Amino acid sequence: MMKMVMRRMVFLVFVIFGVSLVTFILSHIIPGDPASMMAGQHASKQAVEHIRQQLGLDQPIWIQYVEYMKGLLSGDLGTSIRTQNPVIDDLANYFPATLELAIAAFIIAILIGIPLGIVSAVKKNQFWDHASRIFSISGVSIPVFFSGLIAILIFYGYLNWFPANGRIDMNINPPTRITSFYIIDSLLSGDMIALTSSLQHIVLPALVLSYAQLAIITRQVRASMLEVLSQEYVRTARANGIHGYNLLIRYALRNALVPTVTVIGTSFGALLGGAVVTETIFDWPGMGKYVVDSIAYLDFPAIMGFTLFISIGYVLINLMVDVTYFILNPQMKE
Amino acid sequence: MKKTLTLIISIIMLFSITTACAKNSNAPSSKKDSKYKVNSSLTVAISADQGTLDPAVTMDNSAWKITYPAYERLVDFDGESTNVKAGLAKDWSVSKDGKTWTFHLNSGHKFSDDTPVDAKAVKFSFERLLKVAKGPASVYSEISKVEAPTSDTVEFTLKQNFPPFLSTLAANYVNIVNPKVMDKEKDGDMGQGYLANHTMGSGPYQLTTWKKGEYIQLGLNPHSTVKPALKKVTFKIVSDSSAQKLQLQKGDVDIAEGVPVDQIESLKSVKNVTLLQKPSLLVDYVYINSSKGNEALKNKKVRQALNYGIDYPSLIKAVQQGYATQSRGPIPKGLWGYDNNAKQYQLDADKAKSLLKEAGVSNVTLNLLYSDNNTWWETEALTIQSQLANIGVKVKLNKVAYATSRDMMDKGEFDLALGVWSPDFADPFAFMNFWYDSKNFGLAGDRAFYKNAKVDQLLAEAATSNDQSKREVLYKNIQKIVIDDAPYILLYQKDYLLPMNKNVKGFEFNPMLQGIYNLQDMSK
Repeated sequence: MMKMVMRRMVFLVFVIFGVSLVTFILSHIIPGDPASMMAGQHASKQAVEHIRQQLGLDQPIWIQYVEYMKGLLSGDLGTSIRTQNPVIDDLANYFPATLELAIAAFIIAILIGIPLGIVSAVKKNQFWDHASRIFSISGVSIPVFFSGLIAILIFYGYLNWFPANGRIDMNINPPTRITSFYIIDSLLSGDMIALTSSLQHIVLPALVLSYAQLAIITRQVRASMLEVLSQEYVRTARANGIHGYNLLIRYALRNALVPTVTVIGTSFGALLGGAVVTETIFDWPGMGKYVVDSIAYLDFPAIMGFTLFISIGYVLINLMVDVTYFILNPQMKE
Repeated sequence: MKKTLTLIISIIMLFSITTACAKNSNAPSSKKDSKYKVNSSLTVAISADQGTLDPAVTMDNSAWKITYPAYERLVDFDGESTNVKAGLAKDWSVSKDGKTWTFHLNSGHKFSDDTPVDAKAVKFSFERLLKVAKGPASVYSEISKVEAPTSDTVEFTLKQNFPPFLSTLAANYVNIVNPKVMDKEKDGDMGQGYLANHTMGSGPYQLTTWKKGEYIQLGLNPHSTVKPALKKVTFKIVSDSSAQKLQLQKGDVDIAEGVPVDQIESLKSVKNVTLLQKPSLLVDYVYINSSKGNEALKNKKVRQALNYGIDYPSLIKAVQQGYATQSRGPIPKGLWGYDNNAKQYQLDADKAKSLLKEAGVSNVTLNLLYSDNNTWWETEALTIQSQLANIGVKVKLNKVAYATSRDMMDKGEFDLALGVWSPDFADPFAFMNFWYDSKNFGLAGDRAFYKNAKVDQLLAEAATSNDQSKREVLYKNIQKIVIDDAPYILLYQKDYLLPMNKNVKGFEFNPMLQGIYNLQDMSK
């Protein structure tokens, strides 16, 4: 297994190189000029030209790329044109919020998705199967911006159960920064007020975000469970008097989970990506909103930084999926 | 397996409970902020977070709503008018040739760290602005030097006469910055990195908290001479317009900036909400590419025909729900130089058709460039398309990303394009010299790529005279020529609409400071 991990790490270097090259070229060839965005509505040509020189945009693209890579190798992602902050600081500021939301949504999707899949498989073509199908399929079909607004209208507008936006109440100090995850930090520092507020704030966006991914997990679990349940060893187990919970969880689910892990892994990637829309609706201060604003402003360093960050994230998630395979299926070791 | 799971869960629970108890006994790190009474704090819902807050860098109206109350300027706009009144400067004078401006400063103004504001700080702020050389510096390309002969006197020497100079000083381009910002300098950035996230001014407020992506809070500058009623102002980021509306209705925010015009009507019936409606100086118009677009547009008659092809009142109703006034000439109403008798084009399909015939143009297809930068542009483009179809002009819509549209406008890659314009300073120069001077081809202002030697000459004359009545006559004459030459379709002057809670008092809308609040005079 160590060999595979090492191989993936080497592979990561090529991914970074490839992604940086493609993103750099793409973001520089699309028409548009950050210098003109920065100079303001009515700036003269000279003023725009001057800013272009300051930003180094008057250089040939390959020189700009070499300069960027030089910085990257020394861990410098450049300075954001829009916020004037080092990109690495901006990412460090926004990423924990995105990750916290994605993890919360991920946990909800798994906690609801897997049992729902099992129920569907066991009660195949009965009421609960149909009900779970309708419930989970509508999650994929309803766009997040719609379900998000409906959730705000009901749970904030009418019922007043949850706040409509933000990560924590404006009048409460965020918990002492340890991991940058508000929920974990407030638990670690024993700050119950911050914990309650963070939990209240994360419920709606996490539910909405997970709802869209639920169907994929549920349908996958259902399909693999049905396949496993029809296998001979399960029949043998049944014949030996093993049934109920024991049969489903210990015998069937463990094997059914192997293909599901891949789906769950990629769905985590989708959650990170899907967080962009959810963040906008709930004003969750994550990377999604940051990158959307950066793209509109043609803020190259920020776009590059974000893309590299996400690509590395994807490679690492895939690696984790493969490691999980090893744990679930000892045969892979050979 | 079951046992292991139970064990893990128990350990986690035990751990969190014990840490919770341990820390709780040491007083919790956060508690509800009860320091401010509800009626001394104001919450404004804004649509997006800010970029940099450095006054020498930002050209963004929405960043100015934070920086304007945190800094002071030499002069200020007077209430709701476009005239200026004393600010940091108590009086000023200008030499006969208009090249030397002298300002005398008031005493007693202090930065938020108790440093007095003196002439050196003013000189420093201007020099920093010019050295940083980003957007705001382009307004001051005429300055050749700034001097501080005494601690309360500042003298500017201009390269040439620039009559709108005084008015630019009241806008947000030169906020007086505490020279101590140089202590925060990094890699020769003159404190740009620091001021991107902090304020260092002498205004009544200062930036106290900025939770990126969530909210921005202003608190009082303890050393300011002004003592505002609102002690804490929060700009809360609520990007979705429906959510903003809902929060305003429920009283969670006091002002909602981002409610689009088509949703405004429904707010009128809400009990606790009032709608402020004032004419603004923001104009919406169409650039007709007069030299780089479709060949037909080089002919004045074709451009006039397009102007006659628009049904202005119905367009204003469709696009702005009636919250706008048809433009009369390029200078908007409310700014000096506006000509009450200027010609206003009205829908006349027959005349438009005969003009096209005279020009020998038939079956012409024009592309119309626009972006998603303004929510109403989609409807506007569709309306123009259908109205011009009635005079036999086919319009092909070309919607692109905002940054791309700016690039294409600069290069002249369009036949027609939608645009908005608001003045940088309260002077007709801000419209006339930008829009019609062929020196400014492209994004800089002459976005119709219009050139008329006579107009260029008259504009130069109006730009260098200090005699306002003479300039007024000059601009009047120029307007006659350019309205006839019709390089733009002058659509309308938009109303400024602001839904706010009825208990918000004292807000004055200054058309030169759209989106900026006079927080120091407001209360709840």
